[in-house]
This record gives sequence, structure tokens and C-alpha cells, in this order.
Amino acid sequence: MASPTCSHRRNPKILVILGFLLSFILLGCTPPLPPPELKLVEQMNHDLWKAQAQIYASGEYKSYTTTFNKIRDDLIKQNARFVWFRNYEPISERLRAILKDGEDILTKVQERKETKKANAIRQRSELEQRMKRLDRLSLTINEGRLARKNLTKADLMIKEAGSFLDRGDYEGAGARLTRASSYIKASENILTPIFNRYTNKALREKWKRWAEEVVAESREKGIIVIIVKKMDKSLTVYEEGRPFKTFKIGIGRNGLADKLLAGDGATPEGRYRVVKKITGSRYHKALLLNYPNEEDRKEFLKLKRMGRIPQKSGMGGLIEIHGGGKEGMTYGCVSLENRHMDEVFELVTLGTPVAIVGTAF
Amino acid sequence: MKKLSKYFACGLLVMFILAGCAKQPTDEMNAAQKALEDLKAAGGEKYIPEESKKVADALAAAQEEIKTQDGKFFITRSYDKAKQMLAQVITDSEKVKGEVAAKKEEAKNNALAAQEAATASVKEAAALLAKAPMGKGSRADIEALKGDLKGLEDGLPELQQLIGQEDYLAVIDKAKAIQEKADAVSNQVKEAMQKVKGK
Repeated sequence: MASPTCSHRRNPKILVILGFLLSFILLGCTPPLPPPELKLVEQMNHDLWKAQAQIYASGEYKSYTTTFNKIRDDLIKQNARFVWFRNYEPISERLRAILKDGEDILTKVQERKETKKANAIRQRSELEQRMKRLDRLSLTINEGRLARKNLTKADLMIKEAGSFLDRGDYEGAGARLTRASSYIKASENILTPIFNRYTNKALREKWKRWAEEVVAESREKGIIVIIVKKMDKSLTVYEEGRPFKTFKIGIGRNGLADKLLAGDGATPEGRYRVVKKITGSRYHKALLLNYPNEEDRKEFLKLKRMGRIPQKSGMGGLIEIHGGGKEGMTYGCVSLENRHMDEVFELVTLGTPVAIVGTAF
Repeated sequence: MKKLSKYFACGLLVMFILAGCAKQPTDEMNAAQKALEDLKAAGGEKYIPEESKKVADALAAAQEEIKTQDGKFFITRSYDKAKQMLAQVITDSEKVKGEVAAKKEEAKNNALAAQEAATASVKEAAALLAKAPMGKGSRADIEALKGDLKGLEDGLPELQQLIGQEDYLAVIDKAKAIQEKADAVSNQVKEAMQKVKGK
């Protein structure tokens, strides 16, 4: 009879031990949940990538991903531990810290993108202004081919940059604007030297002297003289030292430059005389000038000696004041509307002095 | 006791067999990596960046799962989930690659159409300029426009070059710019010719 009593006494102990064991096992079966911040950090990582953090905050993003990868490795190590020994709290803390870093990087990226965008828009606007100015200049001096070809290329680049800006690719837009800038610079390099002549003090004084000399001759001798101002694209007839009539003119394809050699399309500068009146000209009527004069010849030979013009080049000639229209583009002549040419032709006699200057007064 | 020993030995054998089965899915990993590389080479990052990134992330997740399993006690180690994930990476890579090919084809067609339109516009501008008053008495504007046209003509071979490089988005941008400018040149020539006619 003792044995049943004894087993009754032992049973509760066994049950308690079993209960403890079971509870430990059960606890072990429900492992602690991985940190909820993980999903948020993963989302942040994606947001950073989408915002192009790898471009706009490359250093910070690299450090962020390195830290995140380390945390992930540590998380893997935690997961590998026996459930009772897993502790996600330090990892949670690090994830919260990195999430904050991610937010800061995202803000930085947005700011940098905005700055890039503003810079690109400003640069585009500046380049467009420069282009417009050069476009006008090239039309004024009739510098067609080379400068304008570069301007067109710049224009295309600016348009492409616009498409990149619309897509939010500010790096791409910037690269295209840089290329546009180099084309504009090339165009400026062609146009600026031509224009710089017009601010050269010595040259301006020479032009002024020539103009004053022919006006004085008109006054002293009571004759008709002509002054052609290339920059103004005007031809003024003086009578007895006073301006009598002014007409709009067209000049050479490369008209604002001084004529140096045959075929350069430049309109010569100097003091000339009408040496022939041609009624049956291809361009309505024409007044042939004595270009090249002695001074032109000396200059031509000097430049040739200096090697500034090719040895085989010729001086050119047959510079006329003719009809055909003021908007005509010549090879160096001065052109007027036909009706204006008729007036000038009537006023002018053989030997009439003509001063062709860049600008005067 | 003998019977107990037998059971113990059998248990050990099963454990070793199981542990032997839990081998790193190296082949699957290599296949998944290759699939992702193929996707990249096909232009996934350029044409479907979001989806391509998802595939790359999925591969990274599979790698993590492998690392997790590597850290586990060999009896509990299982690479089944990693294998599934890697298989999904391969499937998704193939799917996105197919979409990339379609997108690329579409972009190529658009690029070719844009190139054709730009070339036609440049040709039209050139033909108009050829008809415009020529020679010594021609308008200064026409001469300037010839310079503009030269710049546009120089842009056409660049389009072909970009098509060769399969940079279709760049072709579309450039062709659009050329077409716009060429049309502007044509309009200016027409205006200039109209002025001459009016005189």
C-alpha cells in the first residue's frame, strides 16, 4: 500500500519540473521578433537610391550603406543565436540612428539637387544671353559660317540640356551646358577680335582723321565727298563740308574686318577716289574705287613679310560702290538700294574722294 | 541496451544525412548572379531602373538568407528558403530582361523615327537655302542661315553614332533639338524669300 502513496508524493515534483521545462521550451519556440526598424531602414535605403544619393551625396551614401551592411551582418549573427540568447535591442538602437542619418542624407540630396537645378537654370539663362548677343554680333558683321556653326551647336546643346532638366537629370544637363559653353567660347573667339578693332584707340583716331580730311577737302574745294561708316552701315554724301544725304548700305560678308587679301570678304578701310562710273553694272550702277591704293599695297607687303598672310595670296581689287540692295552681302564692296545708287551716281564725279572707315565721331 | 544503441546510431545517421543535404546553394547563387549581370548588360538599369533595383535587392536578400543559415547550428541549417529566393531572382531577372528588350525596341523605334524626322527637316532647310537668292547679291541673313545649317548637318552623324551606341534616349533628345532648329531655319528662309518677293 506504500507504493501508491509514494508515487502520489513524487508526482507533483515531476509535474513542476516538466512544467518548467515545457515553459522554457515554449519560450524558446516563440523567438523575439526582429527589429521593426529594419523595414523602415530598408525603405530609406530605397528612397535614397531613388533620390540618386549615390550621385548627389556619394560619400555619405557609401558610409550609410556600409553601416547598414554591418548592422545586417550583426542581425544575421543575432538570428543565428539560440532564441533564449537573442537580443535585438542594440541593433534596434543602431537602426534608429542610421534611419536618422538616412533622413539627413535625403535632405542633403534634395538640397543639393535643388542647388544643381538652380545652377543649371541660371547657367542656361546666361548662355542663352551670351548666344543672343553673339547672334546679333555675327549678323552685324556678317560673320556667317564658322561663328554661327558654333552658335548652332551651342543652341542644340542648350536644347538637349533642357530635356535633361525636365527629366530631373541635373548632372546630364550640366554636362550639356558645359559643352554649350565651349561652343559659345569658340564663337566668341572668332567674333571678339573683329569687334575689338572698334575699341582700338589708335585705329579710331586714324579713321577720324581720314573722315575729317575728306570733309575738309569738301569744304575747301566745294566738292562732293563720300564717307562710308562700316559699323553704322551708312554712306553719307557731303556737299561743301556738310552732310547732304545718308543712305543705308550693305558691306562684305566679312565686312567689318579690314581687307587684307583677295577673297577675304572684307571691306577695305582707307582714303580712295572714284576712278570709274559704270552704268551697265551687274548690280545696277557702280562707282569703281582706286583700291588698292599706295598705303594698302605697303600694308599688304608688310603683312606678307611678317607672315600674317599667305605668301601666295593676292591683294584683290575691283572694290565698288554699287546697287543691288542694301541688304546684299558683297565680297567687300559697298552696296545700296538701286534708287539710292541712282542718287549717289548722279552726285558723284570721277575723282570724288571716298573715305571708308570703321566708325568715326 | 543493444536496441537503444541501434536507435542512437540510426538517429546519428539521419542527422548526418540531413546535415549533408544542407549544402550552400552555390550553383543557384552563380546562376542568379549571372541572370542579374545579363539584365544589367541588357540595359536594365537604364530602361527599367526600379524593377532592376528590385531584382538586385532580392539577390542581396537571398545572400543574407544564406549568411543567416551559415550562422546556424548545422542540424537546424536549411538553405531551402535561399534556394527559393534565388530561383525567384532568376525568374524575375528573365522577366525584367524581356521587358527591357521591349522597352529598348520601343526606344530604338522612337529614336529612328526622331532621326528620320530631324534628317528630313535638315534636308528641307538645305533645299530651301539652295533656292534662296545666291551669290553676291544674296541676303546677309541667308549667309548666316547657311552657317546655322552647317551646325545642324554636323549634328546628324552624331545621331547615327549614338544609335550605334544604343543610346536611344540621347538620340531622341538630340534629334528633337536638331529638328526644332532646322524647322526654325526653314521658316527664316521662307520669311527672307518672302521679303525678297515683296520688293
